Amino acid sequence: MENKKIKKINFVYLLGYIFGPVILCAICFTLGMFICPDGGTMAVVLFMCPPLLSMVWWICAGRFLFKRKKKALEKELDEQGFSRNQTFYGDGCMVVIDTNKGNMALLFFWNPFEKQIFPVSRIEKAWVDDGRSGAGFLEGSSRVSFLFKVDGITVRVNTFTSNQRWRMDTDYILTGISKADMMVKVIEDAKKKVK
Amino acid sequence: MGLFKKIGSIFHDDWCRKCQTKMEEKKRQLYMLPMTVGHYSSHSDANYYKKNLIKVNKKADIPVGKYACGIIKYKCPKCGYKITKLSIFLPVREQEKYEDSIYFENGELDDFIRESERA
Ligand SMILES: [Zn+2]
Repeated sequence: MENKKIKKINFVYLLGYIFGPVILCAICFTLGMFICPDGGTMAVVLFMCPPLLSMVWWICAGRFLFKRKKKALEKELDEQGFSRNQTFYGDGCMVVIDTNKGNMALLFFWNPFEKQIFPVSRIEKAWVDDGRSGAGFLEGSSRVSFLFKVDGITVRVNTFTSNQRWRMDTDYILTGISKADMMVKVIEDAKKKVK
Repeated sequence: MGLFKKIGSIFHDDWCRKCQTKMEEKKRQLYMLPMTVGHYSSHSDANYYKKNLIKVNKKADIPVGKYACGIIKYKCPKCGYKITKLSIFLPVREQEKYEDSIYFENGELDDFIRESERA
């Protein structure tokens, strides 16, 4: 069990993820200008490929890596005898809870190389944010999440997100609230059990 | 029977499918369907419900994030037609999110309902 504080973002990874392709493009463009100033196939390759690859990288690489790391974490937890009683796959964070032993495992999208496992007793509180705003017929939400505070750090996990607002009684919002309510209940129950 | 009434019976669960008369409610019981929110899958096999439904007295007894299944048995006072309706929904705080409706016309769940009544 780790005793260090949880970390949501690995800044080296985040910066590398964003600026890595930019640096690659810069290198290739410079090379292109020196090696083949008069154009030709080589120049096309050096000027066209890096931006295309960068786009593919930005769109796919993070998700691909996160997916692989999630699988790896599940395997590792099973080997450690961590019972995966409840798992929630959020876009930015995966939450796994062992309700018997009262442990939680976290894996963050922006910190995918660190598997963070800690006792739920370190969670100060857990709650739901239904994202409700507006009044009357304008009332609605575009995000539902559950949150918990561990080591003074607040972790938000979305159970529903949309680029538009939905009424509070729509299926999307109700499903999101149900998932969030359930996760908070699981966390609270696990906390009570280890007390 | 007019076409209008026939169409009406599609929208009215308690209208007889044979003669379009308003049916009588014979029994009503609430159960929990142990499926978790986000993982609902529809089943039309009566055995699935016999195996999995758990009787509850009120909606509040259903754990957060689990589905509810209300069973209502109807009987037509005019022609004797019987139907059992399963309304599956997700209770969310004070509200209900509709999920599915399953019908049994041949009394497939009658024994099960009778047994769970005694339990
Ligand atoms: Zn009838």
